[in-house]
Amino acid sequence: MPMESISKQSMPSGALAMLILRVLRAGPLHGYAIAQKIHVLSNEVLEVEEGSLYPALQKILLKGWVSAEWGISETSRKVRFYKLTAAGRKQLEAELRDYDRVTEAIKAILRTA
Amino acid sequence: MGELWRRLWYLLHRRQMQRELQDEMAFHREMLERGGTPRRRFGNETRLQEQAHETWGWTWIERLAQDLRYGMRTLMRSPAFSIAAVLVLAVGIGVNVAAFGLFNMFVLKPLPVRDPDTLVRLQRSAPGTFSSSVPYPSIAFYRDHAKTLHAVIASTDRDVILERENLPARTRFVTSNLFHELGAETGLGRVFDPALDDRKDAPPVVMLSHTFWEQRYDSDPTVVGRVVHLNHKPATVIGVAPRNFSGLGLPHEPAFWAPLVQQPYFVEGSTVLTDTSLGGLVDMWARLEKGVSPKMAEQELLALTNELRRQSPNSVWDNERLVSEPGGYLQAVRKDDVPMLMLVATLVLLILTVACSNLGGLMLARGVTRSHEISIRFALGASRRRIVRQLLTESLLLAAMAALAGLGMGYVCLRVFLSRVNAPPWLNPAPDWRVVLFAGGVGLIAAVVFGLAPALQLTAKRRRGTRSRQILVTAQIAASCVLLIVAGLLVRALHFAVSSDAGYDHEHILVVDPDLAAHGYSATTARSYLDTAQTRVRQLPGVISVGLTSMAPLGHKNVTSLGGYPFGIYVSRVEPGFFSTMGIARLSGRDVQREDKNEIVVSESLARRMWPGQSPLGKQFLLDPSNALSEKLTVVGVVANARTMSMHDPDATELYQMSDDASLPHMVLLVRTQGKPEDLATAVRTVTSSIDSGLFPTVRRLSESFQDEVGTVEKGALIASLMGASAVLLAAVGLLGLVAYAVSQKTREIAVRLALGAKRTHVIRAMLRQFVGPVAVGLVGGAGLAAAASQLLRRILYGVSGLDPAAYLGAIGLLTIIIAFAAWLPARRALAVDAMRVLRHE
Repeated sequence: MPMESISKQSMPSGALAMLILRVLRAGPLHGYAIAQKIHVLSNEVLEVEEGSLYPALQKILLKGWVSAEWGISETSRKVRFYKLTAAGRKQLEAELRDYDRVTEAIKAILRTA
Repeated sequence: MGELWRRLWYLLHRRQMQRELQDEMAFHREMLERGGTPRRRFGNETRLQEQAHETWGWTWIERLAQDLRYGMRTLMRSPAFSIAAVLVLAVGIGVNVAAFGLFNMFVLKPLPVRDPDTLVRLQRSAPGTFSSSVPYPSIAFYRDHAKTLHAVIASTDRDVILERENLPARTRFVTSNLFHELGAETGLGRVFDPALDDRKDAPPVVMLSHTFWEQRYDSDPTVVGRVVHLNHKPATVIGVAPRNFSGLGLPHEPAFWAPLVQQPYFVEGSTVLTDTSLGGLVDMWARLEKGVSPKMAEQELLALTNELRRQSPNSVWDNERLVSEPGGYLQAVRKDDVPMLMLVATLVLLILTVACSNLGGLMLARGVTRSHEISIRFALGASRRRIVRQLLTESLLLAAMAALAGLGMGYVCLRVFLSRVNAPPWLNPAPDWRVVLFAGGVGLIAAVVFGLAPALQLTAKRRRGTRSRQILVTAQIAASCVLLIVAGLLVRALHFAVSSDAGYDHEHILVVDPDLAAHGYSATTARSYLDTAQTRVRQLPGVISVGLTSMAPLGHKNVTSLGGYPFGIYVSRVEPGFFSTMGIARLSGRDVQREDKNEIVVSESLARRMWPGQSPLGKQFLLDPSNALSEKLTVVGVVANARTMSMHDPDATELYQMSDDASLPHMVLLVRTQGKPEDLATAVRTVTSSIDSGLFPTVRRLSESFQDEVGTVEKGALIASLMGASAVLLAAVGLLGLVAYAVSQKTREIAVRLALGAKRTHVIRAMLRQFVGPVAVGLVGGAGLAAAASQLLRRILYGVSGLDPAAYLGAIGLLTIIIAFAAWLPARRALAVDAMRVLRHE
């Protein structure tokens, strides 16, 4: 109902899933770390809020692209770590390929037009 | 697949998952706080969690559970309403379940035999002709040559005399492969074995049906091996059929089973195995070879029929073919049955309609008391869809409970019905998956029908209470009107059947059937037997006269009727003295005479239909109206109408002709007695059986058959009356509720009017005016529907017109009185209110 779309406006949900998969390629991370890493890697441009991060993570879990395991955080608290699965790796590669193709196409149009 | 599995896992562990998610998000917050993000920037915690687990896709199930819990609580809060609603709907569903259960038992449920789906029943058909039985020599021919048939089964029934008793016992003569073929080897002793019992010189054996074994032999296992006498012929009991053995589902469980090849041993002179005409009345079934469809088998059989015609031209008709129908069921639905089925379906659906519109009214009335609650929920931000869904869930809950109760009611009805008609033990009235599915489906439809309209209306921005109320009233009145009229017609028909003159004296007549044809009598031997029998019976004291006819009155045997005419014409072959014995009055002309060839006597109804307004004497009658060259008969006499064949068909007429060679072996004797006919039954039986010791004539009272016929209508009328009564009761209750509700809505208005000095009658009239239109429309519509339906009823109405004014006016009158009462009761209560108190209260 209300309040649904505030955080989603800043980033399309498909892109978020791709970014999550991308930052997990280096190794397992917990939710907060994922958000932080995206924030840092994007030169502090992209902000991922809880409201979009956790639904996206749940969706990716359902798809089987990541698996979750309980571990201990740097603040020694029990927390869930997300790890890329083989299916997730394949999905990431496919999405990156698609993304490259689409950006190339858009660039080409922008150059000529 | 993996995703679905994970989703399910989430559903089953959703509490744990929710907790984990909550934990995880709490951690996220902690970290944010450490990072210095101000607390107010955190979103609504619960909402965020909901969003996250909505991705699992089970929100709807949680909402449904929530709705169900809430609905249950609401129903529990007003138990009186809930119980009334469930009961009303349960009656509507129960009637439907009972009707469907019966249909299911007879038509849909396969017989409890091995592979019922590959069994077919085969019957003879040619343009204009049809026969359910096939001569045994033909059956043997098909059995020997058909490659599409795995096995062929034949069966014929015959009453026999057990030991020295007078009561006949039914014996079913079957091919000895029957029990093996149907997979029924589990009974006591052994079953028939083609290797042992199919030779003509095999020792005579019989099997007992389970029911007869229980009733007659007290379930004594030592009866196996004992010798019994059927028609005075010894035979060894080799076994008892299993308890749940249905055979091929023929009506009337037999007492004995015997091999068909031994039929002539028990029935002296029988030609059933050699007769190529239809005298034998043998029914034919077959089991199809694996992978063969009925159509393929029919095709091969058609070729065989043509081959058979070449070999024995007399046993095959022109253009004959064998047609198949499913054989593994109690009853196959034929085209003729469809109108009757439709009629019954319509009647039971009408009861459901009454129940549904009734409940719709109740829901509507109750909904008003909940309008407060509903507006609060709107105010809290619930959408209309959400509220309608909640209300529908409640209806669904009610319907589910009603369906369960209806299932029970239907089962009880079927049990009672089966016990009343002496059903064989293998007929199981317990609901199977089809009945359960049906009850569920009916419940679901009912829930939508009675729940949706009120739910939409209660949540509508502008309330238009009157419109849906009027529709509900119209539907209820129309449906009850139809049911009442049909009930009225059937009751009138019963009355007519019992009270009107059947046209003959059924009180003083014995019907003696020596069944000469089954014992291989020829015309000559039959003539001499009949002459001797007539003479000897006439000499018995108390006998007034003896007559002969080929068609026993109300006997359902050897029925002959002419096709080609727009009305039924039953043709009886009779001998002089028949009319006086039966007590059928002669109106003009003369009786039949021995020398007659083409002279006939017709009933008054036939004369009136053929030659209205003219004297029928001397008129020519064509045997086949479509063929001017067919045999011409001359009318020499007219007699009164006698409903001897079908008491219930108003279109039936009668034609009588002198007996000929072909009809003599089929003759039955009619004995008219001075006193009670039962006093003479034994003497008549002794006399008629003494002429030929191989014969076992049956003797029955004509009044017995007459009572049976009447009993059938009586049952139908009783069921229809019960249905009509329950519909009217439901409608009355529903209307009472609706008027009460309408009145309660206007209590203040009434009080104001009364306070201002309005007359009570005026107030009443103003209040009830809104119901007059719908009631009138309902009554007229109902009468119209009933008139349309009565065309279907025509054949069982025993000569009562389908537009019988008494039934229509009676039904409408009764309904109007009940409606008026149902409306007046709450209206009167409203007028009794103390105007001042109401106004002050408001």
